[in-house]
Amino acid sequence: MNLNNNGKCENIEHISRRTMLKATLATGTGNAIANWGGLFNSQSIAQEAQKLGKRCILLWMNGGASQIDTFDMKPGKSTAGPFREIQSKLPGYKVCEYLPKMAQQVEKLGIIRSMRTASPDHPDGIYHMHTCYKQSERMPHPELGAMIGKYIGNKDSDLPSFVRMGPTGNAGSGYLGPRYEPFGIERNGNMPYFTTPYLPPANETRRNDLLRFMENESRKDNITDAFESHRVAKERSWRLLRAKSLFDTSKDWPKHQDLYGASDFGRGCFLARKLVEAGVPFVEIGQDNYDSHADNFVCHKANMQILDPAWSGLLIDLERSGLLQDTLVVWMGEVGRTPQINNRAGRDHFIRGWTIVLAGGGIKGGVVYGSTDADGRDVATNPVSEGDLFATIYTALGVNPRAKHYVGTRPIWATPEGSKPIKELLA
Amino acid sequence: MVSKSTFYYSKIIALIVLSVGSLCLAHGMVTINESTPLRTIIDNHVSNHWKEEKITHQGRCDDSTFLRRIYLDLWGTIPSHDEAKTFLNDQDPKKREKLITFLLSDPQFIQNQTNQWDLILFGRNPPNQDATRNRTPFKQWLSEKFKTNQPFDQWVRELIIAEQEGSELFYAQFNNKPEDLTESFSRIFLGTQIQCARCHDHPFTELSQKDFYGMTGFFVRLVVMDQGSSGSGEKQFKKFKIGEKSSGEVLFSGNQKELKPGKKGEPVKPKFLSGALLEEPPLPGNFKEPEFKTGTKSLPKPLFSRKEKLADWTTASNNPFFARAAVNRIWSQFMGRGIVHPVDDFGSQTKPILPDLLDTLTKQFIDHKFDMKWLINELVNSQTYQLDGKGENKDSLPAHFERARIRPLSAEEIMAAMKTAGGDPSFKSEGSTGEYFRRYFGEPTNGLGDFQGSLSEHLFLNNSSNVRAFISRKKGNLADTLILSKEPWEQRVDRMFLSVLTRLPKDPERVKFTAYLQSDPKTESLVEEAIWVLMNMSEFRFNH
Repeated sequence: MNLNNNGKCENIEHISRRTMLKATLATGTGNAIANWGGLFNSQSIAQEAQKLGKRCILLWMNGGASQIDTFDMKPGKSTAGPFREIQSKLPGYKVCEYLPKMAQQVEKLGIIRSMRTASPDHPDGIYHMHTCYKQSERMPHPELGAMIGKYIGNKDSDLPSFVRMGPTGNAGSGYLGPRYEPFGIERNGNMPYFTTPYLPPANETRRNDLLRFMENESRKDNITDAFESHRVAKERSWRLLRAKSLFDTSKDWPKHQDLYGASDFGRGCFLARKLVEAGVPFVEIGQDNYDSHADNFVCHKANMQILDPAWSGLLIDLERSGLLQDTLVVWMGEVGRTPQINNRAGRDHFIRGWTIVLAGGGIKGGVVYGSTDADGRDVATNPVSEGDLFATIYTALGVNPRAKHYVGTRPIWATPEGSKPIKELLA
Repeated sequence: MVSKSTFYYSKIIALIVLSVGSLCLAHGMVTINESTPLRTIIDNHVSNHWKEEKITHQGRCDDSTFLRRIYLDLWGTIPSHDEAKTFLNDQDPKKREKLITFLLSDPQFIQNQTNQWDLILFGRNPPNQDATRNRTPFKQWLSEKFKTNQPFDQWVRELIIAEQEGSELFYAQFNNKPEDLTESFSRIFLGTQIQCARCHDHPFTELSQKDFYGMTGFFVRLVVMDQGSSGSGEKQFKKFKIGEKSSGEVLFSGNQKELKPGKKGEPVKPKFLSGALLEEPPLPGNFKEPEFKTGTKSLPKPLFSRKEKLADWTTASNNPFFARAAVNRIWSQFMGRGIVHPVDDFGSQTKPILPDLLDTLTKQFIDHKFDMKWLINELVNSQTYQLDGKGENKDSLPAHFERARIRPLSAEEIMAAMKTAGGDPSFKSEGSTGEYFRRYFGEPTNGLGDFQGSLSEHLFLNNSSNVRAFISRKKGNLADTLILSKEPWEQRVDRMFLSVLTRLPKDPERVKFTAYLQSDPKTESLVEEAIWVLMNMSEFRFNH
């Protein structure tokens, strides 16, 4: 641990680092690594994180889920498909028969049935729905996760501000820079490349302490922001590895498998809950295989059987642990699917009227917003754009949707001009 | 540290104020006249500016700092231990100038210039990945230009004409997207960002959408013709020829926001940026465009070549943008920020802080026939370039050039520096190692160009065998030399510091390292760890 000459903490030293210092002193040198991971699950750290406020989990339906086969059913119409409706907890509102558990959670949901968006294909839609800007502008827009990391993340946290698993976004941290880049892990919690030290812990510790000594020497002469940014990132990389055990779900997962369903995606949702509890402000989990140009119904039935327990399990678990009121859970993909069923029993990409669901932190539950026409071929009331959606998400999380940034000398805003948050959905 | 006495700005200023023709420099009396070297004129401008603005500035940097800085800037790597030792022991007062001359005359300089301009022209993630992944032929073409020090205006002209083998790739990256090409071309060669005017009239400048599409008119008739590929595996590259049609116009349909579906645009005549419309003979009435068949080796010639007219206009010495944008960019390569900053945004409202200096640089560059090597030689020989990088100011790119800038090493430079420092010149750093380095060190800045350390960069540095391979003991490398040496540890620590950081350790550092390296009987591990520590320092990460 390095204190500078007058014993004052450097700016890389901070609350959780001081906590670690205590832990280190308590256990003696060398054991800090093993001990540190355990700290994260402790009640005090969770409370610390909670005080910091909001968090966000994005359930990403990669390929684009079908609105008509989930939350905007069209029984009796030519576009309906074979799935039946079931009554949800909300009087008069029905959902797909393969979402029975979610039907019981509707009072937590803000359902937008009137998404009308502008990017009809995968790479551009994925980009657009992660940044609320068009990819063709060729501006380095940051993803939602990077923005949330910047605005509601605790910059002193030992954990990355933006964790993602499975198939997810394609824009990265854009103009916000590498400080906010996504940290990709597997849905079972396996860490990415280069997170396993090749040195024994004792060597690692002495080596890192020698580097700390050198940086403290260097700090006497070199105080530019660039140097400091390098030093802070180095400390973050060490602290992250000490928190590695947080990502390990092997012990807890068997106990939660029933609630979330025994799937990779369910396990990812469980890990997301653990991460937001520990103070990670944004976690994204992708579910594969929604791009059902053929066999839409086989595909969606299988996907919903994974989605339904995972999503409802997440909401229940968040509620139970008191996190739901501060955790916004977003359910969306890059496109909806056509009302028209094609000759391969598939549905193609659709952007004229599709569904996205919000729940939890900052969202008024039990609200169905907007509608499509009788066959679901277009929005009938209250069209919502990408910008409106993002303005709603940002507002729910307490972030100004018109936050201004610069790329070179060009000003750029968190959401495009004219974007409006949906008041009806905000708690 | 260098004493103030070597730096005579105050005297220079005093004498300029008297506005007599002569003034005192560090090494004697010099008259500012037509033969005064540009380096002196630069220093005069900058020191005058400091005086006017009451800016505190740094003194001359020490020899170690200069040595590392100039190697990185001219060669893209750090000096070896022996090179550093030779330079630091040299007693010649002109040794910096001598070293600059030597570095500029070496093929490494050509290689480094090629890498620099390749990045300027393509960026880290160029479009048309298929075509731009392997740019070997383009880089070969470019390095020929630097090998003969071909004047800047001439090689840019050849780039615009795109008939030499390899040069076609600049156009090919935009693969028949003339609007994207317009944006890049204007940014790189005219120092002007006109992308705003693509969708609406520019809010802060005179530029209108007509200006944007006027420029696009020069590119709209270009055809990128696929010519197959050469080589195989990783070495495979695609080949292209650039054709130009005799007909075809940009269709302009107004402000994008007011765009109605189905509305047809009107043809826009080519127009030089902020200049005249292109005068063009009308097409013969019976003209029929010849076919551009895929795979054909010889392409039809246009009746009238717009790209030739663009090349003439762009590279003309009276072009209001071209030479200014070039000197400003080359200046920023060595001084951190442009006199106009960002370097490709002359149109913005920000006023350059040294407008007269920019004028002088531009005029001299033109007078010296666009000689890049001459310009670089003058820049790095200036006192302004050789300022110390330390000081209270936390800004990496100080606004008044009052001290040296701090810039992160590029992915290529970090690899090269690790290789030199590690002491095994035969080490192969291409293949997956190169890919990892480019991935983790490729784009270390935010939208404003400020450095940001990333988590993934450090995880890679901490735990990757790709990095470890530069360091761990191999026959004859630095670790091996240190382990086998019979010298006292203090001297071995000196060698280690000089090899990695191009400087000797300060006393507390020497004491600490000497103790560290003897703290365990397993010397090999300790040596490896200590070298890793120096390579992971912020001091190593930046050129300062």
